[in-house]
Amino acid sequence: MNIKKIQKRLNSSFDGKVTASYRDNSIVLEGELSSWDDIVKACYTAAKRYSKTHVVNDIKFTGAEIPKMRVPDFSDKSLEGSFWDVLIIGGGISGASIARELSKWELDVLLADKEPDLALQASGRNDGEIHPGVDLSKGSLKHRYVLLGNKMYESVCKELSVPFERRGQYVGFTQRWTFPFVVLYALKKKYIDDVTDTKIISRKNLIAAEGKINPNFKFALFNSSAACVCPYGITIAYAENAVSNGVKVSLGTAVTGMVVEDENIVSVSTNRGTIYPKLVINAAGVFSEDVAKMAGDRFFSIHPRKGTDSILDKKAGVLLNSIAAIKETALKRSHTKGGGVLHTVHGNLLIGPDALETYKKEDTATEPSSISKVFAKQKRTVPALTERDIITYFAGVRAPTFEEDFIIEAGRKTKNIIHCAGIQSPGLTCAPAIALDIEAKALEMLKKDGLVINENKSFNPIRKAIPALKEMAPKEREELIKKNPDYGVIVCRCEEISKGEILDALSSPISVPTVDGVKKRVRPGMGRCQGGFCMPLVIQIIADYLNIPMDEVKKSYDNSSVLFGDIKEKSKELL
Amino acid sequence: MKEYDVIIIGGGPAGLASAISAKDEGKDILLIEREVRLGGILKQCIHDGFGLLRFNEKLSGPEYAEKYIDIFNEKKIKALTLTFVTEIVKEENGFTVSVVNRDGVTNLHTKTVILATGCRERTARQIFIHGTRPSGIFTAGTAQAFVNIYGQKPTKKCIILGSGDIGLIMARRLTLEGAEVKGVYEAKPTPSGLTRNVHQCLNDYNIPLHLSHTVTRVFGNSRLTAVEVSRVDENMAPIKGTEQIIECDALILSVGLIPENELAETLGAKLNERTKGPVCDNLYMTSVDGLFSCGNALHVNDLVDYVSENAAEAGKAAANYIKSERKLLEFSVGENLLYIVPQSIELESDLSAVTVYFRSSGDFNGKKFTIKVNGDTVFEKKYAFLRPPEMEKLVIDMNKFNLNMNSRIEFSII
Repeated sequence: MNIKKIQKRLNSSFDGKVTASYRDNSIVLEGELSSWDDIVKACYTAAKRYSKTHVVNDIKFTGAEIPKMRVPDFSDKSLEGSFWDVLIIGGGISGASIARELSKWELDVLLADKEPDLALQASGRNDGEIHPGVDLSKGSLKHRYVLLGNKMYESVCKELSVPFERRGQYVGFTQRWTFPFVVLYALKKKYIDDVTDTKIISRKNLIAAEGKINPNFKFALFNSSAACVCPYGITIAYAENAVSNGVKVSLGTAVTGMVVEDENIVSVSTNRGTIYPKLVINAAGVFSEDVAKMAGDRFFSIHPRKGTDSILDKKAGVLLNSIAAIKETALKRSHTKGGGVLHTVHGNLLIGPDALETYKKEDTATEPSSISKVFAKQKRTVPALTERDIITYFAGVRAPTFEEDFIIEAGRKTKNIIHCAGIQSPGLTCAPAIALDIEAKALEMLKKDGLVINENKSFNPIRKAIPALKEMAPKEREELIKKNPDYGVIVCRCEEISKGEILDALSSPISVPTVDGVKKRVRPGMGRCQGGFCMPLVIQIIADYLNIPMDEVKKSYDNSSVLFGDIKEKSKELL
Repeated sequence: MKEYDVIIIGGGPAGLASAISAKDEGKDILLIEREVRLGGILKQCIHDGFGLLRFNEKLSGPEYAEKYIDIFNEKKIKALTLTFVTEIVKEENGFTVSVVNRDGVTNLHTKTVILATGCRERTARQIFIHGTRPSGIFTAGTAQAFVNIYGQKPTKKCIILGSGDIGLIMARRLTLEGAEVKGVYEAKPTPSGLTRNVHQCLNDYNIPLHLSHTVTRVFGNSRLTAVEVSRVDENMAPIKGTEQIIECDALILSVGLIPENELAETLGAKLNERTKGPVCDNLYMTSVDGLFSCGNALHVNDLVDYVSENAAEAGKAAANYIKSERKLLEFSVGENLLYIVPQSIELESDLSAVTVYFRSSGDFNGKKFTIKVNGDTVFEKKYAFLRPPEMEKLVIDMNKFNLNMNSRIEFSII
């Protein structure tokens, strides 16, 4: 589409308020609009799906103030003046997997994330599906990486000791007349798009496999390669393995600016000092556009898209063994399969997500309307679902470009940056494959710069996981308790987590001694009582471990202490 | 494998009372408690008002528990503390109970099991609180544990959602510890807790109670900074335009208790929709032969005195359990009754003094609790007031009713 055509289309919708121009091979939109939805619409109007010519959104949003990036409240000089071969910005699945692959080499790698833990944004706030790629077509990076990534997951999870289950995905259709179209679609997927496991299955076989699924499904599209993983579990595992192999992970570290000279990033400022990387990898999720801008290399825009998922009690786990979704209108192109129902590796059901455009990149607040809409829809996938089984819910913000494809490439202007941006679903699936490509690209760029890179001879791809005693055979469990009696002290009754496991989390390679940090690693508080019984005990264990008072233990962020100190403080003062 | 007559799961008031009465029947029993000490939730209930019915004196929770723990110890009843039941498997002649503790994994065999596992609190997510996820959202029981067990202050300025008893008691407790309780909000048009608690815990401390209000949103990314409250309509749906933002550092929830029934469920025990606990007969036996339930695991009681009382009966029944064909006559729940416990009677058992507990489904003045057998009124009792938060108890001689398997026995409030 040439720029005149784009402008014409924009004019018809926005009455001259938005202008389009080509600049450095990007389509730059400018103007002023008061509705965020209009801005998104304008950018979509100008964007071509999967194109490498990106829309850069410079339309001024006058409807509200876009919140600034939240950064840690503290600053120190712990990284001041340090030199690194590679700086990875972002501790989500992309950053963590890249860090791990780079740890195969003798490189000084720093992974920085502004959050107090890994996977605190989109990577920890999704349904954990390892997608088959059945909704993707040849020609996109998403398609390329989803097929590669999906195949890699078994071995990656084995190396990193992360639970992984191939449960398969059913997309059910309620209208019989769609059958011939779906058959053609399946054939295209299978033979043209290389999604070789695509199958159509009959209603009878569907019901035989999933007895509680909507009986009105006439047939279903089935992909046996679809799988589930714990999304923050795999991210933490990748990062832990990276740390064990020499990578430095610095949490609570926000990149706030860069000095770029002669199209080269010279230094990067953070709240923990100025650092000097040879190469920067931009894996900053919703903030990847901001990082690109700091690097003088902004050629794309991110439009945050929020999704909410609900988690159901394990009791509801019997309703579905796999992943399932309903398709009511025949294969309309949409940004997700429209949410679904998924049986997690922990035995819960996960329902969702929806997809809402937002200008708030970190708005993970949940809304009642999201839950009810998702439920109304997914009750048509599995009719017995009930909101009463919800134990919790969460929202995450995805980071798509307007072209709806990933950006995996070196800087277009700035020479020492690689972008791993626009990562959204199926980003989790693609991560292992993307990480390998970025590793190769990084090596190539560093070598071109004259760096001699040797293999890390002590690299060990195997990560030892914290034992999950609940999952063990009694004999194995008994042996562990004999060695460490703390494994026999159950702290979290709902998830059956022992004190020993919590202490293991506290001494793990990336220890995050907060209530949420422990919860993410070994699951106390993840069950039906949501920490009502175990939270005080967990806080006490953390306090004892760190030798600090209980009121210094935080939930997650810096100012998130749970308690305000000794109740008798006041009376002590009086004495 | 060690063999017991009765294994009791839970060392709170229900577990203690059932253990003592089972022991009195001369049986070999074991009590399993997951915490370090016996006493259950009473350990953290340092307010008074316990034991009025049973001991005719006002005791604190720990004092009440101590009375039972002393008897328990005198009788040299075996207890495993800091021990967690991971699984119960029903077998031909009883149950295998798997436990873990610091010594390892152990399987125990028993003829009968009493579930005295108490209840848990409904959480913020279960009542669909939305917004961010800061620290500072506590159930009232968790807040109580922090204050009374750990000596820690969970809030300086809070609101309480729900007027259940623990919420009311925590409103007073936190006030006494110097926190500002800005108000108690209740979605229902009437308080959920006992009337005496509304007076003693709120009115006496000038803590406002806002009925027909709920929390619709929480704010804050690290620590809670504010909550939004809204008025609700008769269907408890928030009314648009009535939102009000209240600055505080904590939201404390007292929005209901649910019997801990996971073990019962895994054993296939039928649950009652209303009580959320297992259905049982007058001997406190669930739908699973040899599996008994009592106290708050069975249904949430208002007073610990009732818990001890029905637990003692359950303990006795479990100790004397002999496997036989059950002849159960189910009760019908009629008009104006929220629920009745038990839900059936064993016709072969002693029916001369059957204890029934019930709650009305609404507020009633001057109505009669009525039992009809085959349509004929055989029992009635007039009550000046009946309110859902106030559980009522009756002991009825059912021998007089000449019941058989074909009788239709219906309870109602008319």
